Amino acid sequence: MSPPPDQALWDIPDMAKLSISGVSKAYGATVALSHGDLDLEAGEVHVLIGSNGSGKSTLCKIVAGSVKPDKGKVVLDGAPVAVSGPRAAKALGIGIFYQELSLAARRTVEENICLPDLPMTGPFVDRKALSARAARYIALFDGVTGEDFAANTTVDVLRADQRQLVEIMKTLATEAPVLIFDEPTSALDRTQVDRFFEILRRLKGEGRAIVFISHRMDEIFAIGDRVTVLRDGRTVGTTRIADTSPAEVVRMMVGEETSLVVPAQAEAAASPGAVALSLRGLSGKGFSEVSFDLRQGEILGFGGLHGQGQSAVLRALFGAAPAAAGDIALDGQPFVPANPRVAIRAGIAYVSGDRGRDGIIQGRTILENVTPIHFLRNRLKLASASTLRAKATPALAALNTKFAGFSHPIGSLSGGNQQKIVIARWLIDRPQVLLLDDPTKGIDLSAKADLFALVRKLAQEGMAIILYSSEDVELLANADRILVFNAGRVTRELTGTDRTRFHLYEAAYEAA
Amino acid sequence: MVDAVAQPPRNPGSIKRFIERYPFLPALVIMLVLLALNGLWQPRSVGLVGLTGLAKTYLALMLLAVAQTYVIYAGDIDLSVGAIVSLVNVVIVAFMSAMGGDTITVLAAMVIGLGVGLACGIVNGVVVAVFRLQAIVATFATSIFFTGLALWVMPVAGTPAPATFWRAYGGRILEVPFVFWAVVVLAIMLYLIARTRLAIQLLAVGDDVQGAYQSGLPVTAIRMRGYALCGLFAALAAFCITGDTASGDPLVGGKMTLFSVAAVVLGGSALAGGHGTVVGSVFGALIIGLINSLVYFVGTPSEWQNLVQGLAILIALVAGILIGRRARS
Repeated sequence: MSPPPDQALWDIPDMAKLSISGVSKAYGATVALSHGDLDLEAGEVHVLIGSNGSGKSTLCKIVAGSVKPDKGKVVLDGAPVAVSGPRAAKALGIGIFYQELSLAARRTVEENICLPDLPMTGPFVDRKALSARAARYIALFDGVTGEDFAANTTVDVLRADQRQLVEIMKTLATEAPVLIFDEPTSALDRTQVDRFFEILRRLKGEGRAIVFISHRMDEIFAIGDRVTVLRDGRTVGTTRIADTSPAEVVRMMVGEETSLVVPAQAEAAASPGAVALSLRGLSGKGFSEVSFDLRQGEILGFGGLHGQGQSAVLRALFGAAPAAAGDIALDGQPFVPANPRVAIRAGIAYVSGDRGRDGIIQGRTILENVTPIHFLRNRLKLASASTLRAKATPALAALNTKFAGFSHPIGSLSGGNQQKIVIARWLIDRPQVLLLDDPTKGIDLSAKADLFALVRKLAQEGMAIILYSSEDVELLANADRILVFNAGRVTRELTGTDRTRFHLYEAAYEAA
Repeated sequence: MVDAVAQPPRNPGSIKRFIERYPFLPALVIMLVLLALNGLWQPRSVGLVGLTGLAKTYLALMLLAVAQTYVIYAGDIDLSVGAIVSLVNVVIVAFMSAMGGDTITVLAAMVIGLGVGLACGIVNGVVVAVFRLQAIVATFATSIFFTGLALWVMPVAGTPAPATFWRAYGGRILEVPFVFWAVVVLAIMLYLIARTRLAIQLLAVGDDVQGAYQSGLPVTAIRMRGYALCGLFAALAAFCITGDTASGDPLVGGKMTLFSVAAVVLGGSALAGGHGTVVGSVFGALIIGLINSLVYFVGTPSEWQNLVQGLAILIALVAGILIGRRARS
């Protein structure tokens, strides 16, 4: 069954296999999806595209039942359905490939493939049937699975691409009429992608309805029949792939009105100072050959899609995951951040968006959360609370931090105020270089505004700052210069009037 | 030539996989070493009489370690297993002493005992999986509750179990001691349970709860079933305790709880869940038993016994990790 020939046919509502309208989802203050629409036909590969945080994954998870929508309607085969959970989705015939994978690491490849629906004889698992069924899906990728891949290998010893293949096999094994693939190709090599596309074309021929998410334009144009673009949590529109071009798709993602306008606050620091930090050919896990100079008073932005090496570089500079090769110079002196303690004493500050893991000290008071760096940098062993309070007060005031008292637990604050506490901890003793690793994740708009006002002020006072943000708008509005990362390398530098959404997306989405 | 090149990387890999697949191997080695040491100090301890005694005393801990393993598979823990043992022990002893000691009564008592164990397991499952309380705290609380029930059923220890019961446990069938038959039946049960869907599902849940939920597994029901199975095996452990001690004691199982957890870890299962074997836990329980008897055989003064026991268990844990690591590298 091939896709209907013209637009008119798609508009007949009962023709759609799956139709989603006005779906929304918010997590506290963060709106993940504000208005998602999608019409999926049987026998098509429907591409979903949008920049970081535009709501693609949330939309998919709502369809798959693993996220409950706040509002909206899901219609399957013409009848409204409530996808109350992954089990309900399975019963309705919806199978999904999860971007973050849903595999049991210590189980074997074949067990994982059959896990959602284990073949039984009486009360026992039918091992023979299980192996036979898994073998059918493993055989689809015969020749491209790579070394040391076998049905009875446990998943934890597999490489990233092989795990992704197992998740694909597991999704295919559901034999669901609706299949959703959320970034199934991000770790695959060319031959694996080609094989996967062959399979998708065959499934399409069988009349399956397929949603496909990828950040690679070439893949989208190779496999897609139609494309739906999401921007800032909303569905912007749907067009046929044959009727559009990569540049046109990027324009839809960016939005016409802002596409060529340089952000208002794009004023670079009047006169950047001396080079504070300089990297030459820095390579490590997740990044390679990264070189740049960071000047005092400058805010250098790291851009690109999620996980292209931006965080890895920042964590290497902070000594949390040291680099394997390359040189770093701090104030002209060679600098080897072997661990965070060395980096902190050398004047490097690091603020992570993952507050729970990297930032706050859970269950302890606000005072204890503001002062650990002060202790470390000054090698303090004992200090009176009143001295510490006197030092912490101006740092917190600089950020408009709202808190009832130093003795209150950190958990009593909102996410935004918690993050301010974490930043204030670095301001008692001024660092030379401030590394911001997606610092605004999950914090509200006014806290963001306070935070960026402070960052700009620190830069004007001569601090050298690197800002990685997964929100492109933030990056464009606050960075003086942007390095775009793609597959662990810096592929483009955007300066001056080049700092537009359009150029940022173009650089981020081109095939590496 | 090709072989020479291909062999070196494959060999350590295959040993590693062997250990990965059979994580109880280090426990087996330690157990055999301890058995040899026991034989060295007290040759009669490894004879038929000695081994029968060992099985008689530690069959309960073996069953309890198995019970604990099923919840640990799913990344949960059950700190009430010992209290369930106590409760089942006093319930069946009270029932049998009230109804008389004939065979029908004994069988009825066992059915009731299994029911009590199952009910306790379901209570734990509801509290942990449905109400989503922390397993470690919730089952600690239910352990106090179950102990309270046991004390209500039998306020003081000492009510004797009918002779039919303990004579059977300590007796022989076809000239083979009953406890050995019990071990064989246990082995068959473990083999069968390992082949059920539940075993794989428990491990999948323990591996990655989110992943299991997203795969469409009924996570809550699976964790519930894990606790229910645990309760049943705790009841079986209580039967063995009753057979061994021949009396009811409302506090008899309390100190077994953490030994059961230690046995699971000694057996090579991951406390975080997702990886392990019940066979390993059985070996772990035997390791604890053999350590206890070795401490006794070498003539440790009574005031030093706890200290030596504790050290020996620590050494066994470290040895298990080292053996595993050596084989893997």
